[in-house]
Amino acid sequence: MKKACMLLLVLATAFSLVFAQGSSEGSSTKQETKGPVTIKFSTWDYELDPGLVNLVNQFQKDHPDIKIEVVEIDSSSYTQKLSIMLNGGSDVDVIMIKDADTTKSLFDKGQLTDLRSYVQKDNIDLAAFNGLTKNFTMPDGSLVGLPIRSDWYIMYYNKDIFDKAGVPYPSNDWTWKEFEETAKKLTSGSGQTKTYGAHIHTWQACVQNWGVQDGKHTIMDKEYSFFKPYYEMVLRMQNDDKSIMDYATLKTSNIHYSSPFLKGQIGMMPMGTWFMRTIIGKKNTGESTINWGIATLPHAEDVPQGYTVGSATPIAINAASKKKDAAWEFIKFVTSEEGTAQYARDAAIPGRNSEKVLANIAQAEGMPEGASDALKVTNISFDSPCVDHVGDINQMLGEEHSLIMLGELSIDQGIQEMNERAQEILGN
Amino acid sequence: MKKPHTIAERRQISLNRHNTLVGLSFILPNFIGFALFILIPVIFSFILSVCKWDGFTAIQFVGLENFSNIFKDRVFKASLQHTIIFTIFSVVCTMSLSLMLAILLNRKIRGVNFFRSAVFFPYVASVVAVGAVWNAMFLKDGGPVNTMLQALGVSNPPGWFASTKWALPGVIIVSIWKNMGYFMIIYLAALQDIPSTLYEAAVIDGANGWQKFRNVTFPLLAPAHFFVFMMLTINSFKVFDLIWVLTDGGPGIATKVLANYIYDRAFVSWNYGYSSAASMILFLIIGTITIIQFTVQKKFDDVM
Repeated sequence: MKKACMLLLVLATAFSLVFAQGSSEGSSTKQETKGPVTIKFSTWDYELDPGLVNLVNQFQKDHPDIKIEVVEIDSSSYTQKLSIMLNGGSDVDVIMIKDADTTKSLFDKGQLTDLRSYVQKDNIDLAAFNGLTKNFTMPDGSLVGLPIRSDWYIMYYNKDIFDKAGVPYPSNDWTWKEFEETAKKLTSGSGQTKTYGAHIHTWQACVQNWGVQDGKHTIMDKEYSFFKPYYEMVLRMQNDDKSIMDYATLKTSNIHYSSPFLKGQIGMMPMGTWFMRTIIGKKNTGESTINWGIATLPHAEDVPQGYTVGSATPIAINAASKKKDAAWEFIKFVTSEEGTAQYARDAAIPGRNSEKVLANIAQAEGMPEGASDALKVTNISFDSPCVDHVGDINQMLGEEHSLIMLGELSIDQGIQEMNERAQEILGN
Repeated sequence: MKKPHTIAERRQISLNRHNTLVGLSFILPNFIGFALFILIPVIFSFILSVCKWDGFTAIQFVGLENFSNIFKDRVFKASLQHTIIFTIFSVVCTMSLSLMLAILLNRKIRGVNFFRSAVFFPYVASVVAVGAVWNAMFLKDGGPVNTMLQALGVSNPPGWFASTKWALPGVIIVSIWKNMGYFMIIYLAALQDIPSTLYEAAVIDGANGWQKFRNVTFPLLAPAHFFVFMMLTINSFKVFDLIWVLTDGGPGIATKVLANYIYDRAFVSWNYGYSSAASMILFLIIGTITIIQFTVQKKFDDVM
């Protein structure tokens, strides 16, 4: 009997030890109010974004009482991991939302702080964000994020390939039809050394986005015949002109869009403005010697010049944060005129952008000539809006996209299936 | 009034109690882990399957709505179908191939250890590496598999992971290749347990090679068959990682299986209710099959 009692005692102590450890972990975070406040800031690919690193360092220099602890999460699974962290009651304070379209679902779960009172208190003029804040304004009027960064699609091109083929560089006012013809002219050679006129990456965005470029359609339309001209164009380029690499090969061998462009195998590539930073970085490290240029995205004949597709990355405060004021100071700084001007110097496009900011970007080291004109846009349509079920719709469109590109479904059949499945997901 | 015990009786009771307590304390650490990380989540998943939950806000009870919606979902129906096809083919082919290999490698041939290791190797290799290599092997143009097929005279080789028709067979082939070695080892062990006297007796009775296999080897491997069959069935129904790295369910939804569907509903739609309901269906299928296998095995053991 005595032995059994001893055993129970030992077990009980073991238990209390386990739990004691848990509770001491919980209390240690509360003690930080005495010294400088430490806020946790979650982002992805932090080390690859010199602009952000400089911003964080600058902020810490200006605010000695606030320390920033960067929580870096792998970019490919950022959205999932962030959501799980927030669901688990993580104490992260400032969050960057990688897939802006998930903002609505985070808001629905009550995980984002309404910034309106802060905006009012500090007299922030939202007009400076060129309407991007609309996307982060929820149906009840709460503003849950400010756009720290904005990215849109532009055309990248390889000047050497244009020179070799004797084709003039694209202007900033051109149509998709001209793009297709130029690609055909730039294509030459065969096999391993073939030069492709253009590159269409495997994302559905690289075809479907040109359908929503007009600002009238969105991917939530439930009726997708507006994608048709662009599928026709891309399939003609893939199957008849052979001016772009085959989707099947790109997809099954998992080829990242940056490698064929940086190796100088392709003439033109529509891609987001984020790729500018990659090119500059790779040229600095000597991994690429590409002679590149950029132009405004081509447009359809009935769409005005300067229309493009893009998104903005919101920066927000976790509703569970205990240091909201310090978190707001950081957000205020990174979206301020001073902060954004600094950010732009590293060729990142801040959400608050103006002629001056664009000029800063164009002057950033390593940017090609004429960048400030190429970056002038008059309208940015959101590639995926912040509404319910956008994740499901995106997944569905991606699945049907691969079937059309592989020739498993005709364009009409594919669009028909998209329509049916959108009805099933969204209801009538 | 207590019933008086003799000293011996009292000692016996105390010893029994002591033994029980010691026994319990030995399994306790394991059981705590099991309860915390398996039992409670499983029970929670049962509850979630009749609820609507996004992972954070209040859980709403919705009854059987999740199940009725799932059965209307074309992606779910396709996933279920793919899972069943995948299981049937990979179980049957893996079993017969690993048995064949085991018999071949059970002989005394030169370098048998090398061949055994070679067949076992894929099982040890990381799924991610295997996925990358097979993706390259199955390339539509210029991939080793299609180059070989063309050399053999197939004029229009399949597109494998770039084709909705051939993606599932492709995934099944990789899965067979990967698992074959492990089950071969199990068969090898079982083969070595068969007493040679039985073969000698069969030879005296005038049995030929096939008859020896049919009447001695195959029936005596019954326990191994059951084990291999059960493990393979359960593993095939749960397959996730291999498909994730090979095709990610594509092209379209051609290789999407139940585990992929469960993942998507939980981490793309943030609908844990749907996800749990689909898990319950998977659980039910695997549970039923396991119970059937156990009953059949018991009957078989009684006969033996």
